[in-house]
Amino acid sequence: MIAEQPVTDKNIIVTERMGVRIVSLLLLVAIISVFVLWSVNPVGSGSESTFALFLAVDLVSVAMISYVERAVAREGRIGKAPLVAGCLFILFLVVAGI
Amino acid sequence: MSETTTEGPPLEDKTDRKGNGIMVRAMAWFDSRLGLSHQMLRPAPQYSINPFYWLGALATVAFVIQGVTGVIMMLYYVPSPTQAYATTRYIFQSVSYGTFLETIHLYTAYAMIMLAFMHLMRGYFVSVQKKPRELMWVTGMVMGFVTLGFGFTGYLLPWTIVSKSATDVGIGMMGALPQPLASFLTFLIVGSGSDAGELLRFFDLHVVVLPAVLLVLLVVKMYMLETHGVSEPTSGIESLPPKKRKLIPIFPDVSFYLVELAALFGSAVIIISVIFPLALQPEYSASLAGQYVAQPDWYFLWVYQILKIAAFEQAGLPVALSVVTLVFIALVLLPFIDRGKTRSIRDRMVYVTLGGIFVAEVAVLAVWGYLTPGIAMPDETAGLVLGGTALLVTLGSVLAYRAVFGGLRGIAKNRGRGGATVAQTPSSVTIRPVPLRSAALWTLGIFVCLLVAGAFFIGGSINGVIALRLGAPAAFQSFAVSLAGLSFAVVGTMFLLYRLDLGTGSIRRRIRAFELGWRE
Repeated sequence: MIAEQPVTDKNIIVTERMGVRIVSLLLLVAIISVFVLWSVNPVGSGSESTFALFLAVDLVSVAMISYVERAVAREGRIGKAPLVAGCLFILFLVVAGI
Repeated sequence: MSETTTEGPPLEDKTDRKGNGIMVRAMAWFDSRLGLSHQMLRPAPQYSINPFYWLGALATVAFVIQGVTGVIMMLYYVPSPTQAYATTRYIFQSVSYGTFLETIHLYTAYAMIMLAFMHLMRGYFVSVQKKPRELMWVTGMVMGFVTLGFGFTGYLLPWTIVSKSATDVGIGMMGALPQPLASFLTFLIVGSGSDAGELLRFFDLHVVVLPAVLLVLLVVKMYMLETHGVSEPTSGIESLPPKKRKLIPIFPDVSFYLVELAALFGSAVIIISVIFPLALQPEYSASLAGQYVAQPDWYFLWVYQILKIAAFEQAGLPVALSVVTLVFIALVLLPFIDRGKTRSIRDRMVYVTLGGIFVAEVAVLAVWGYLTPGIAMPDETAGLVLGGTALLVTLGSVLAYRAVFGGLRGIAKNRGRGGATVAQTPSSVTIRPVPLRSAALWTLGIFVCLLVAGAFFIGGSINGVIALRLGAPAAFQSFAVSLAGLSFAVVGTMFLLYRLDLGTGSIRRRIRAFELGWRE
């Protein structure tokens, strides 16, 4: 587990690489959700809640990207619990939005 | 994910010669262009990475969201009595995501008021208003009033039966204020007295004057924050581990943390607005207004409930308003009233208790006002409820202070001197020591539960006696249950006091002092 290992130079590099991958994935999620926001039919039934929930997905993704960047830059490691909680939250929002 | 560091692919392709990766290089690129790491702002201590330190920042985020949603709504809204409701309905029904927009605007307003209140009370309890932050406190209080002004002026704009009736009540209350203030506010808000003039003035105040005032005050407060920095913890900075005392730059550390908080706050508001979307109330008309019981929005309900107390109704509105005004003045002048040197919660029991009473009374009055619209409050009931709330909070506070800071430490000291049970325990029996703080909290929790249950059963018993006197059916059964419950609460409280006394002996000492006798 990366989060529980002692911080060494090698770990920092690996964690940073992990950070880049996680941020890339989150950016992808954010871009997809923005695409959904643009493609929702604004006059369709239930479109407001779909729009709102994908906007929330976008915001949670931004929060997670910010967290990962801060954690990597300052602490040299990424906590597992916030990541898992954030991913589950995004999943929940996507399912509710669909 | 690759967890081993020795067997992974070579890293040279993703790092520069110093071993820095893409993210670090990207940050360096931006930094070299924008000069972000030049410490434009004072660095913040690591211990401030805590949501409670940034409640004011979250209120500002709410203000920004309101600004954005408000500007979009202004594209459609017309501030005239004949068109205000129609244009609001148009936003709800015809504008894309109009209901969502209105809901977000309202809920962020609520969140802003709630966050400002939490910011105020947190500042009060940790005593941030002391030297040298007195003027920050006063500025923050004025910002709080401006925030309430936003709520008051914005409430009228949809021109619904609810909003217009409640605003009329508020305007009527203003006329009862002391004279120069009443005339000034009436001139500022009502104008000529016509509906059109009133609505236009409310609109101007809401979208121009108040945002401008709030922005100026925000800049002033930020300047003072930059001058004095984040306040230290009440226990003193020496009590923190070195890691927590370390200073971190505003960019990227604090900024990124604020982005996290802001994004999570925004998503929470969005989710709440999806679950509870706003519904447009009926349009205002003079004929409907007569049938409707006016009630203010939740943040003014506690004032509304105070004004419904019979004694204040008889004494007149000016007297009632003076009471509320005095509370506000006391809050504004708090830095010049509470002039003690210490900021420690432990040494400020009176102020902490008064703060607790204020929060509890505001909550009780607001809920009560919501549940009893238009119903006057008899003096006896008001005294019983408000006095009872104050008494309960005071008792809880005294017990909490005794338990957390004083009472059970005495037990620990006595046990440490070998006067109590641990030394007498047979060596074969292993006792897991209960942490002192946990024991204190459990004791406090049980005691408060017993007090609440006791109060409940006393009320039940009195009701039971009255019902028995009136000959109501099944009165004896409820009376018996209440009496049994009361007995249980009394016995439980006595047992708890006895257990507490085993350690400190304070009750025994006091009984001796009154010469009532005590068998050792």
